[in-house]
Amino acid sequence: MATLALKQLKKQYPNGYKALHGIDLAFGEGELIVIVGPSGCGKSTLLRTLAGLEDISEGDLEINGKRVNELEPAERDIAMVFQNYALYPHMSVFDNMAYGLKNRRTPKDEIQQRVSEAAELLGLTELLDRRPKQLSGGQRQRVAMGRAIVRKPQVFLFDEPLSNLDAKLRVQMRLEIRRLQKRLKVTSVYVTHDQTEAMTLADRLVVMNGGHVEQFGTPMALYDQPASQFVAGFIGSPAMNFLSATQAQTGLALPCGATIALQGEGLATGAELTLGIRPEHLQVLGAADALPAGAAELEARIELVEPLGADTLAYCRLQGQSEPLVVRLDGEHAVAEEQTLRLAILPARAHLFGADGKRLATREQATAAIE
Amino acid sequence: MAHFNRHPITPWILLAPQLLIVAVFFFWPAYQAIEQAFYVEDAFGLSREFTGLSNFVSVLSEPEYLTTLWTTTYFSFAVAFGAMALALGLAVLADRVLRGAHAYKTLLIWPYAVAPAVAGVLWLFLFDPTLGILPELLSAIGIDWNHKLNGDQAMLLVVLASIWKQMSYNFVFFLAGLQAIPKSLLEAAAMDRAGPWRRFWTITFPLLSPTSFFLLVMNVVYAFFETFGTIDATTQGGPAGSTRTLVYKVYEDGFVGQDLGSSAAQSVLLMVIVGVLTLIQFKYVEKKVQY
Repeated sequence: MATLALKQLKKQYPNGYKALHGIDLAFGEGELIVIVGPSGCGKSTLLRTLAGLEDISEGDLEINGKRVNELEPAERDIAMVFQNYALYPHMSVFDNMAYGLKNRRTPKDEIQQRVSEAAELLGLTELLDRRPKQLSGGQRQRVAMGRAIVRKPQVFLFDEPLSNLDAKLRVQMRLEIRRLQKRLKVTSVYVTHDQTEAMTLADRLVVMNGGHVEQFGTPMALYDQPASQFVAGFIGSPAMNFLSATQAQTGLALPCGATIALQGEGLATGAELTLGIRPEHLQVLGAADALPAGAAELEARIELVEPLGADTLAYCRLQGQSEPLVVRLDGEHAVAEEQTLRLAILPARAHLFGADGKRLATREQATAAIE
Repeated sequence: MAHFNRHPITPWILLAPQLLIVAVFFFWPAYQAIEQAFYVEDAFGLSREFTGLSNFVSVLSEPEYLTTLWTTTYFSFAVAFGAMALALGLAVLADRVLRGAHAYKTLLIWPYAVAPAVAGVLWLFLFDPTLGILPELLSAIGIDWNHKLNGDQAMLLVVLASIWKQMSYNFVFFLAGLQAIPKSLLEAAAMDRAGPWRRFWTITFPLLSPTSFFLLVMNVVYAFFETFGTIDATTQGGPAGSTRTLVYKVYEDGFVGQDLGSSAAQSVLLMVIVGVLTLIQFKYVEKKVQY
């Protein structure tokens, strides 16, 4: 159990490429932190600098308040689960798990005890004599975790550990990792590009983009209050819809002609901005329903329907908008392609982003609807 | 398949050049050697007489043959071990080189392009007791080098020349083998508290074992047969037979001593020895190899 702190951490490769531009983060004891971002955002580099597999170019990395920049990976007391598991192919499952302990000259009977404990915990007891190539993907994954667990490290690092598994196994292992982490209470840093995995696993979530931290917070905080258009688009599935909007006297004018009683704080009339609305937050109105106060009314023609069972996704064409508008409907909602939906965007559900992609504070125009 | 059945000749035509080469340069001479081994020829090569196994009996009862067998054994061991160990060392170093790796590798591979006899002459000049640079340097530290008189030094010279020649070949394979080991395995081992030395012996070396096994077979075959040129160019098996290997004795007895029957019997024995060695390697060493 440990705290981790990154202070203005920078990484530049010898060829001049800057992978990390000053990362400032602090993780508490026993937290499960997920770092998520598109490929090339620097998340794996960040994890590798934590592990000591990459040098830190500038800034400090502290474990339990102690600077560890110069320590070798072995001296940091960190265990890592690799994407391809990195199991030693010439050793049995037992030897794979015992290797780290043997290197520390742990007494034989203690090795035996710790490995069998970990094997018990992960359901590997029957497989201890097997070689990695005789195991299935999920079993290899467990061995990789077992190898990390037996060492009782201060910190666990996970580098996209589920990306080589099939979808069903991934969901199962995701739960197992979560349960295990709760039980062992070891501070963990988990890297993934999968936003569902990130949302479900994380105590707190780091969204990275282009070597910067876009936002750091609990999954729900990021979902409810995304700090930037990038985070808004990355967190949540299907992704948030973005509509271009113009600040008007009485609210915001949308290209389809509708107006919403909402303004970006401190913006001049005529300023261009982006309005974001999640597919699950678009309200479907019946022909006779009155428009809620302040809401924008949209007429959207359904182009494609994706029934998912519990939900149905409707991809709609909106006037003045090139990207399709995605609407999440109840599974029971009977909709057909070519049908027109009457939708409302409630001001309370809308997110506004400025031209720089940063979140804008909003001001509801209570009077706009009355006029 | 149907196509081939309609033209049963085609595959044979395609195979013919290779088969012809193998037939002319391997099967025919091998057959000749086996046949020859059962005959004794007169001094002028005009007639020959079938003598059964007498050639083999006289070869095996010759004490010189056993001496040569022993010489060959430790020569082969020294060459195979030396060439493999050095090549592995260089490959490990080359694997870490980031800048100028290509030039470095090319330079290390070059000796393989040098003909064995040329390699031998090169080392001969370096170590020539009167002309060479190295005996001059060695005398400065009190070593009197004369491989023309000292059998052990002569052996050292041919071993060095043979190692130098074979190292490149081993280097290429070891380097390829090293590069096939996923970096994440070594990183995982580093995080598992294994230092560089321990990482090498517990991870890298076992994972290289298929390469090492293949090279062991190739190097033993090399040391038995292909070092002939090197030996002939440097010591001609001397002094006093101290660098005479089995294959050199085959040549000496047959083409210098004109005893073709004995020479043929020896080459048959040599074939059998190498065959048995290779079988032993496959049977016992391969079991310990991690694939």
